Amino acid sequence: MKPLIQFDRTWHEEFFKRIDDDGPWAKSELFSLAYLAEKERVVPTFHGLIAPKRLPLLKLHPHQVETARMVIEDMHGKAILADEVGLGKTIEAGLIIKEYMIRGLVKKVLILVPASLVLQWVSELNSKFYIPAVAQRKAYVWSQYDVVVSSIDTAKREPHRDIVMEQNYDLIIIDEAHKLKNHKTKNYQFVQSLKKRFCLLLTATPIQNRLNEIFYLVSLLKPGYLGDAESFSKNYKSGIRSVKNEQKLKALVNQVMVRNRREDTGLHWPKRIIKSFDIPFSQTEQAFYDSLSTLRENGVVQPFSLLTLQREACSSREAAFATLNKLYKSTATPVNERLWHPIFEKLNAIDHNSKAEKALELIKHINDKVIIFTEYRASQLYLQWFLKKNGISSVPFNGGFRRNKKDWMRMLFQNRVQVLVATEAGGEGINLQFASHLINYDLPWNPMRIEQRIGRIHRLGQENDVHIYNFATRETVESHILNLLYNKIHLFEQVIGELDKILNHIDLQDVDQQIAHIFEESESDGEIKIKLDNLSSVINFEQENRAEDDHHAASGNS
Amino acid sequence: MQQAEIRDFLVRFFSSSDCELLPISNPAQLKVKLTKQMDKLLMNRPFYWHYIEQIGQTPETATLTFRFTDQLDEGEFVHFGSPRLHQIFNTAEQLGRYIRLYQVLAPQSSPALEPWLGINMKISYQCDLKKDRLISMGLQLINGTLIEGFQTMLTRLDLNQKLPNYCYTLSPLITVKSGIQRIERFIESELESEPSEWADQASERWVKDQDLLDTFYEHQDEKPDRYFQEQKALKEQYQPKISLQLINVGLFYLQSSTFLPGLVKDH
Repeated sequence: MKPLIQFDRTWHEEFFKRIDDDGPWAKSELFSLAYLAEKERVVPTFHGLIAPKRLPLLKLHPHQVETARMVIEDMHGKAILADEVGLGKTIEAGLIIKEYMIRGLVKKVLILVPASLVLQWVSELNSKFYIPAVAQRKAYVWSQYDVVVSSIDTAKREPHRDIVMEQNYDLIIIDEAHKLKNHKTKNYQFVQSLKKRFCLLLTATPIQNRLNEIFYLVSLLKPGYLGDAESFSKNYKSGIRSVKNEQKLKALVNQVMVRNRREDTGLHWPKRIIKSFDIPFSQTEQAFYDSLSTLRENGVVQPFSLLTLQREACSSREAAFATLNKLYKSTATPVNERLWHPIFEKLNAIDHNSKAEKALELIKHINDKVIIFTEYRASQLYLQWFLKKNGISSVPFNGGFRRNKKDWMRMLFQNRVQVLVATEAGGEGINLQFASHLINYDLPWNPMRIEQRIGRIHRLGQENDVHIYNFATRETVESHILNLLYNKIHLFEQVIGELDKILNHIDLQDVDQQIAHIFEESESDGEIKIKLDNLSSVINFEQENRAEDDHHAASGNS
Repeated sequence: MQQAEIRDFLVRFFSSSDCELLPISNPAQLKVKLTKQMDKLLMNRPFYWHYIEQIGQTPETATLTFRFTDQLDEGEFVHFGSPRLHQIFNTAEQLGRYIRLYQVLAPQSSPALEPWLGINMKISYQCDLKKDRLISMGLQLINGTLIEGFQTMLTRLDLNQKLPNYCYTLSPLITVKSGIQRIERFIESELESEPSEWADQASERWVKDQDLLDTFYEHQDEKPDRYFQEQKALKEQYQPKISLQLINVGLFYLQSSTFLPGLVKDH
């Protein structure tokens, strides 16, 4: 095929004008420099990557560079990036955008990500890749800026929708693309209708085993690649989850999808060393904890409130006090005053916090950066005060901090103080891979939050083995959770990202509520034990299934 | 581009645009006091300039400090990927686009200078992939001699902005306009005779994806808008094209014996 030849002639008029006007003319040196500047920037071959050489400060891993090359050269810029969590999909995407921009193949880019990640994307693209990405804030941003990051929910809403649909995008990137599995949703149809030449779908979920998901994701990239819906189900489906012509389908999918696995990357992954501490209450703490059940026995509080109180009591008396005081104010009557009185007395009698002391001992012993996670603000404040009293400075970290404050606290922790006391790990998390010790001072009932906590330090860039210390108070709700559930499902050993998929798949996203129900409705410890056992078996069963599936999928790749 | 070459480029750029190079303690650094023109081009602060000019105050132009190693703390780290360097590249291209130069001759030479049109262009071969090369053409505007690699030869000559006193220029027989056309025709015929496997392969990929698209909408007699949108996108993605962008252009008045026969192409 004969290529089209297009001469830029927009300069003719200006040149003729300067001839007529006898100038102005450039200086000789600048004329040479202009030519030199362009000569240096020439990209002499179709193949290979230019971008890494222009990013001398960015440490790229070989699998990231190879992924970018494959996407551009073999997949022609339309691909699903499905690396396992923590291998740097954002870096791969950034590298691909950069390469295309350097080559002048891409100018206008739209990046759709979950709302909580918008600013993180913007900052990574700017600081690591010198890509002038901006967060969408005002309607004019869509047309005025070349590289825009937004949430899909904003982009698909009016007045934005119409403007976004009008743009001619060279490249569209969608993070967490597995959320687009249903072709009937507004999000799917919105993405499908965008004008784009190149497209990257990022997901950590291996999609091999879910047929409709594969079909609709691939059809976003390359309509017809897997046939139309009808021929696809005729060729590959037998039942809802089972596949026929599996090998053929996998071979096809692997040509539009890159999935790097940890074990294939040749990277050194730090070990995770987990230690659980079964910490006994002091006598005064025990007395206080035990006294709480009298509130329920006398019908003053609901089972749910009791549970909350018990969990707080396991953390610190400061955490329990706030709730207790509120309950007291709303439910106290002259009649039950005699019930409340001894409880407050026991609370006041507590003279030290067993867990805090354990933490102190541990921190001194570790003698390195330590992150402490607690569920409660009151415990966070108490711990900071307690550590300070014992000569250890710390900084706080809360999910509600503004980005600036988060970054500031991170800096202080990295450079100045030994301990960071945090209440929340999720959301716009920060990366703390310069620290390698983490104390779970108390345990959230949502196992996903544990995973998010660990994910802060167990990630690419972590150079040491990661130490996780779990605190549970002996013979309490907390020790049940740790011993009967979390340890049984190997929560602390789990690969980051796996649990989410498992819970999603068995429709168990609200584990915390399930756990609460078990505690509230059980009559005895024996019953709690049986029910928690059941829950862990369900999770374990799915985990084993997946491991097997993944194994099959992996062998299908080779 | 190595760090030393970048440093060299910046020194040449700032000196030739009349910015003052300030003394530095470390050779891995460069410190420049910008001129008003350069401040406006590089510092992106239109409001400052608007304000200063409104109230008629003496402006304080910016001082830039660059460093060429990441071992130092002071200054902006410049490397081949840094946005600042590319901003300066772009500025150099903007300031060095149109030129007119005269050759400076030894006193005994013939005083007649022949007119040449010189054009530097970037040729980009583009489908879903892209590569480029530069071409530098010179056309003698009296007898139509055409040479490639014009820019390289210019660097060997002593050239000046002004016509030397004892010299005069010969009148062109070919207009600049038709000169440009001659150069374009030459490049075009050269491009057409080049091997075009890359374009054939791109169009194979195009046809393949177009076929897939057709199967996807096979059962719909009335094709939806999306079909046509995708079709257009495929064309934009794969259609092989060669585009030529101007880098810079100029009129050069040179001595007739300047070019050695081996380097001259007949046309």
